[in-house]
Amino acid sequence: MTIAISKPSRLLRNPSLVVGLAIIAAMLFVAIFAPLLAPHDPYMQDITRRAVPPVWYEKGTWDNILGTDQLGRDYLSRLIYGARVSLLIGFSVVAISGVIGTTLGLLAGYFGGRVDTFVTFIVTVRLAMPVILVALAVVALFGGSIWVVIAVLGLLKWDRFAVVVRSTTQQIRALDYIASARTAGASTAWVLLREVLPNIAPQLIVIATIEVASAILMEAALSFLGLGVQPPLPSWGLMISEAKSYMFFSFWLIAIPGTALATLVFAINLAGDGLRDLITPERS
Amino acid sequence: MLIYILKRLGLALIVALTVSVIAFALLRASGDIATALAGEGATPESIAVIRQTYGLDRPIPVQYLSWLWDVARGDFGQSYFFRTDVAGLIFGKIGNTLILGAASLAIALALSIPLGVLAAIYSGSIIDRAVTMFSLMGQALPSFFLALALIMVFAINLRMFPASGADSWRNFVLPALTLGYYITPPFMRLVRAGMIDALNTDYVRTARAKGLPARRVVFKHALRNALVPVVGLVAVQLGLLMGGSVVVESIFALDGLGYLAYQSISYRDFPVLQGVVLLLSLAYVVLTLLSDIINAWLDPRLRAA
Amino acid sequence: MTAPLLSVRDLRVDLKTRIGTLHAVRGISFDVARGETLCIVGESGCGKSMTSLALMDLLPRVAKRSASGLTFDGQDMMRPRVAEKLRGRRMAMIFQEPMTALNPAFTIGDQMVEAYLFHVGGSRAAAVDRAAQMLEKVGIGSARSRLGQYPHQLSGGLRQRVMIAMALMTEPELLIADEPTTALDVTIQAQILRLLKDLQRELGLAIIFITHDLGLVSRIADRVVVMYAGAVVEEGSAAEIFEAPAHPYTCALIDCIPQPGKTERGAHLGTIPGVVPSLIGRQEGCAFRDRCALSEAVCARPVPVRGHGSHHWACIREVAA
Repeated sequence: MTIAISKPSRLLRNPSLVVGLAIIAAMLFVAIFAPLLAPHDPYMQDITRRAVPPVWYEKGTWDNILGTDQLGRDYLSRLIYGARVSLLIGFSVVAISGVIGTTLGLLAGYFGGRVDTFVTFIVTVRLAMPVILVALAVVALFGGSIWVVIAVLGLLKWDRFAVVVRSTTQQIRALDYIASARTAGASTAWVLLREVLPNIAPQLIVIATIEVASAILMEAALSFLGLGVQPPLPSWGLMISEAKSYMFFSFWLIAIPGTALATLVFAINLAGDGLRDLITPERS
Repeated sequence: MLIYILKRLGLALIVALTVSVIAFALLRASGDIATALAGEGATPESIAVIRQTYGLDRPIPVQYLSWLWDVARGDFGQSYFFRTDVAGLIFGKIGNTLILGAASLAIALALSIPLGVLAAIYSGSIIDRAVTMFSLMGQALPSFFLALALIMVFAINLRMFPASGADSWRNFVLPALTLGYYITPPFMRLVRAGMIDALNTDYVRTARAKGLPARRVVFKHALRNALVPVVGLVAVQLGLLMGGSVVVESIFALDGLGYLAYQSISYRDFPVLQGVVLLLSLAYVVLTLLSDIINAWLDPRLRAA
Repeated sequence: MTAPLLSVRDLRVDLKTRIGTLHAVRGISFDVARGETLCIVGESGCGKSMTSLALMDLLPRVAKRSASGLTFDGQDMMRPRVAEKLRGRRMAMIFQEPMTALNPAFTIGDQMVEAYLFHVGGSRAAAVDRAAQMLEKVGIGSARSRLGQYPHQLSGGLRQRVMIAMALMTEPELLIADEPTTALDVTIQAQILRLLKDLQRELGLAIIFITHDLGLVSRIADRVVVMYAGAVVEEGSAAEIFEAPAHPYTCALIDCIPQPGKTERGAHLGTIPGVVPSLIGRQEGCAFRDRCALSEAVCARPVPVRGHGSHHWACIREVAA
């Protein structure tokens, strides 16, 4: 099995990856430089300028390109700061769930036997629990904050990592060079970290992208239900939730953060798809 | 086959018990039950009475076992908020959720099987790319955003379907569309991947060599084998479906299990939440068990094992 | 001489790949008469399997076939849908891997009768009777109960017999067998070969037998086509090929066959040094010249086809050294 990564010609022939990465890079740029890019303070309320429509409507102005929300806050600025929340949560959740899932998967796949049985059992129990309900319950118990959301999603969403890493490790373990490393007297930790982990890295990256997208959607759903990020922090899910009552008159209040959310998640999934194509060994 | 079923049954039982421990712990973690049951402004004396009446002064393992015994008999405890028994509450709502779930699943399968087959037959072509894009967009569109957009178009502007309630079949159309679209992508991917594999197998080549018409080759020889993993996914997706139903039911105010769960969280009505979590987990365990048995039946090679 | 059952003229198969067009079959021609066995021989990758799939119009989607003539009993198989109508009815095919060639989800009986019902029609009971009959004909006992079994319940040898019985359900005139015994052990291999021979005599079946094993060819072939790098390098009757091979490649292949009595136990069999040239792009001159012990500068130029009667070869030499 040859895994061809990072050949520039193949990269360019993979439009999904290029487009996906470009959108993600743009969103990251916006999130990082939010204070410089946002035209207004995202928390500044102005009762006299409530629900001003975006510039392409008749009553829109260039001062608030995407209009203002029901409290008179500049919608573009809130959207830009919202990107921070989504990306921060997406990446932090995966950092936690990735470590948990990968560790469990590595141990199960490498040691097999009782360790494997035990890990498989934990994964089954975890899959049996309805994630969103448990997440909602925990947030209700501990209060909503960005850190609670990250912690609860990170502790719940490691199952896919564990399942994939386990089966990939099983395959790699059977290969000759692992056996030779072991007979050469390498410690288990060394073999796992230096021999196995680099070889499952491509699969890990693909799952990580899918999971970042899924965590972002999950946060938006929690915030939408009022049990995630708390106001006045601008989360895209929360923005949609706050605009719900005004949707008959100002649907754009929902459409703008909704589109931003869908675009980001779409771009991440697109990049994930492109990565999958890139690491899948070519069929002869 | 029998040994296989018994083994799977054993595993399912252990998983179910573990889940019950977690659900039990969830309620304990939520605070003092006696205080909550007594309601606001209760005297310490009345709380003590309640503690004794409900056996909350016994050691935790004993409490767990007696709770488990109650659950096994269908007694899920008392709701703090609705002041009725949880089991009755849940079973009053479960019908709506089942209808919604079945309708969503039907929509998802009706979309994903033909599209997945089409993408597989023409894999690599424009059709395949279009189907893949459709599935990626489906995954990216937040269900609550789609729900609000559907309400805007079909309930507010066109007035074709109601935006809330659960009085007639018309109330289920928009929620089922939302939820069905939400769970379509994973099914479509699986059907597509399964069909691509199946179409490349030797037995499909044999079927073509026999001169069978393309329709028969695709739908009999390839699809049958490609659908085996889909059955498993139906069970796994139940979790996603239920997660989605919390969001969708609360948007459409569809009076089902998901809405009940959402309300119970908002009102901190933990016995109800505990009941719903336990029920959904058990449903998952039972469904995966069933799907494994159905898979074994669909794949004759597994039947012997 | 009567018209051949199958006539192939200048058949080509091209596959589009990322690095260029791969010419898997490069303009081959041959005839198959009714009731005869034609063996197509060559190393793996020489285009023999592509040829068989092209005849049945079963090529993968990336492969395109073309020919100046491809007729079955006078019908032009290059016209759309003609091959589709003939296959499974008048021409049938069996494959190398009996373990995977049957659908695991359906019973033997179901898979045997479905094509028969589609092509011939009649009642299901009649089709089942015929299937049982065919299983007995290929030497499978208790045929009735076998019909209700699934492929995984049968051994590889039995499955290949089932494949043969299934292929012969509709009394085809041509059977294409693509390495049908390669995956089987030697005793089973001999049984299957004998069975094919017997069935051929009984049913007047023409067989195209595709193999890399010249030892098999010597046991069953009436005529032989030797392929190398997508082209026919030599063609003739079995006697001509084995007694007077003319092309250096054929000679080299024959050296590879162990012969009872002649080859000492443990003796080193002749192997051909070098590798098959890339099939991507055009090939000028003889494709075998890099591996040929007798090659000369002139071999880089277009190669003449020599021969007499039914024996032809593509080489600059009149007769091999």
